[in-house]
Amino acid sequence: MESDAELISRSLTGDGEAFMEVIFRHEAAVGVYLARRAGREAAEDLLGEVWIAAFESRGAYDGSFAVARPWLFGVAHNRLRRYWRSRPVEDLVPDVTVLAQGWDPWPAVDRRVDTQTVLRAALARLKPEEREVLTLVAWEDLTVADAARALGMPLGTGRRLLHQARLALRNAPGVAALLTASTA
Amino acid sequence: MDLLSRLKDVEPPRPEAFNQARMVLGAAMTNSARTNAGPGLAPTPEPAPERAQSRARHRRLTVASRRGIGFGIGIGVAAAAVAAALVITSTPQPSANTGHQSAGSKPASASASPKPSSAPSSAPLTENSQLMSLASYIMANDSALPGNASLVLSKQYNDSTVPDNVGYSLYTDSGDYYWSPAESGLPAAIAQHENIADGVDAKEKAAALYAVNGDLTTARDMMVNALPNPFALGLGPAGRKALQKKLAAQYAANLRNPIYVKAFGKRKFVGIPTGKALQSGIDNYLWNNSVDALTQAGGNPQIRAGVLRLLSTVSAVTVGNSTTDGKPTLILTAGPEVFGGAPSDQVLTIDAKTGIPIKSVGGIPGQAPSSVVTYQVSRVTVADIEAGKF
Repeated sequence: MESDAELISRSLTGDGEAFMEVIFRHEAAVGVYLARRAGREAAEDLLGEVWIAAFESRGAYDGSFAVARPWLFGVAHNRLRRYWRSRPVEDLVPDVTVLAQGWDPWPAVDRRVDTQTVLRAALARLKPEEREVLTLVAWEDLTVADAARALGMPLGTGRRLLHQARLALRNAPGVAALLTASTA
Repeated sequence: MDLLSRLKDVEPPRPEAFNQARMVLGAAMTNSARTNAGPGLAPTPEPAPERAQSRARHRRLTVASRRGIGFGIGIGVAAAAVAAALVITSTPQPSANTGHQSAGSKPASASASPKPSSAPSSAPLTENSQLMSLASYIMANDSALPGNASLVLSKQYNDSTVPDNVGYSLYTDSGDYYWSPAESGLPAAIAQHENIADGVDAKEKAAALYAVNGDLTTARDMMVNALPNPFALGLGPAGRKALQKKLAAQYAANLRNPIYVKAFGKRKFVGIPTGKALQSGIDNYLWNNSVDALTQAGGNPQIRAGVLRLLSTVSAVTVGNSTTDGKPTLILTAGPEVFGGAPSDQVLTIDAKTGIPIKSVGGIPGQAPSSVVTYQVSRVTVADIEAGKF
C-alpha cells in the first residue's frame, strides 16, 4: 500500500484521486478530533474547510513523514483556532464543556457525571497548549512526537507540555480522588 | 491518561457530513484543475447534479437529530463529490395526469398516491430481467405482511471489525420513524413521540409501491422527485420556466456567498441539466432513493418488489449472483456512472429469493471498501416494541 506521503506527492502531479485516498484514510479520525473540540455540529461544518486547507497546503507537506494523520490534525487545529477566534467575545473563554460530549446512553450516566465534571474542570485549568498536547495523545492516540508535529512545535516542547499537563491534571481538585478510585 | 480517556466518547460527524466534506473538497479540486494552467489535477467529469449533496443538506436542515441516516446511502456516494456543483433548489411537482400507465396496469395500493408525469424522464426504458423476475417472484410468493412496522438493525463498519455506528430504526407502516442506538431505547422514543420522519421517506415508499404494478416511467419520476432536484421531471413548459428562474436566482445567491465561491468557484450557470448530465443525475437520485426505501421498509414485500422494478431500469446498475453465509444472494453494483463519473461505487447485496437487503459496501472500485453497512430486517408490531417485547 502506498504511503500517505507518496499519495500526496502524486496529487501534486495531477492525481486528484490520490489525495482523496488520503482523506478516506483519515477522515474518521479527523472528524472525531474536530467533534471532541468543537461539538458535532461545528465539526460537520468545519470538515470540508479542513480538507480544502489541506489540499491547498499539500505542497508544503514534509515527505519524510509517511503517515499524514498528524499533519491533518495540525491543519484541523489551525482551522479550529480560526473558528474559535470567529466566535463572539462572550465565547472566547475555552468552553471545555463541549469537549468529548457524547451521546452516552443513559445507563451509567449517573455514575459518570461526577467524574466527567471533575475531569472537564481540570482540563479547563490547563494552559491551551498543554491541553492540546495532552488530548492529542490521550484521545487521538498520537505519540508525543506526532502531537508536537501536529502543533508545529519541537519535540522537546511537546514532551515538556505533556509532562506539565499530566502533573497539573493529577494535582487538580478532585482528580486525585478519582485516580484512587480508578485504581482501587 | 486512562482516566482522561473517559472523556473520549463523542458523537462523531454523521456519514453524510463526511460525504458533504468530500464533495466540497472534490469541487475545490475540480476548480483547481480548471483554473491552474500548469500541472493540475486530472480532468474531472462535467458537473452532474448530485443527489448526495442535496440529501445531506436536506437531512441536515429538516431533521437535525436524525441519526443513523446515511446508512442506506453509503460512503460510496461520497466520492461523487468530484462532480458536485449544482445546487438543488426546487421540488418539481408532476403536472396533470396524462396517462402514462401501461395498459392493464394499476397502482399497487391506495397509499401509493400515483402522480403520473406529463413528460417522460428519459429514453425508452430497458429493464434488467433478473431484477424484474425477482420482483415478480416476491409478489407471487412472499405477500405476507405480518405486524405493522419494519425494524431495521443497521451496523456501519468503516475500517474495523467493530461497528462504528449501530442503529435500530423502526419504520411504521403509517409513516412514523423512530430511531435509537440501542433496541432498549425504542420504547421510550415511541412513548415520547420522537417521530423523526421527514416526509421524504413516505414519498420514496409511495413511489416504490406505485412501481409494483404502475407505469415505471411515472414511478421513476415519483422516486426521483421524492427529494428536491433540478431535473424538471413531469413539469410542463410553465413549470420548467419557473424552475429555471429559481435555479438562476439560487446561482446568483451562491455567487454572493464567499464560502460557496471558495468551495466551488465561479462556475458557469447550468440550469436544468440536459443530456448525459441529466441522465447521470436521474440515475443517482433513483439509485439512492430506491436503496433508501429498500433499507427502510425492506420488511414489506411490496416495497421490495417495487424497488427492484425501479432499479431494473437503471442501466448503470449491474446484477450478479453470489452467496452470503451459504444463502444465494444478488449483488447490485451502482458504478461510477451513477455517481457522476466519480471514482466511486456502491454494492448492495440482497437476498436472492426475498430481495431483503443484507449489506451495502461503498468505496472506490478496486480498493478496500471505505464503508460497510449490514442490515437485519424484521417485521414487528409497534405495540410490542413499545412494550419492550423484542
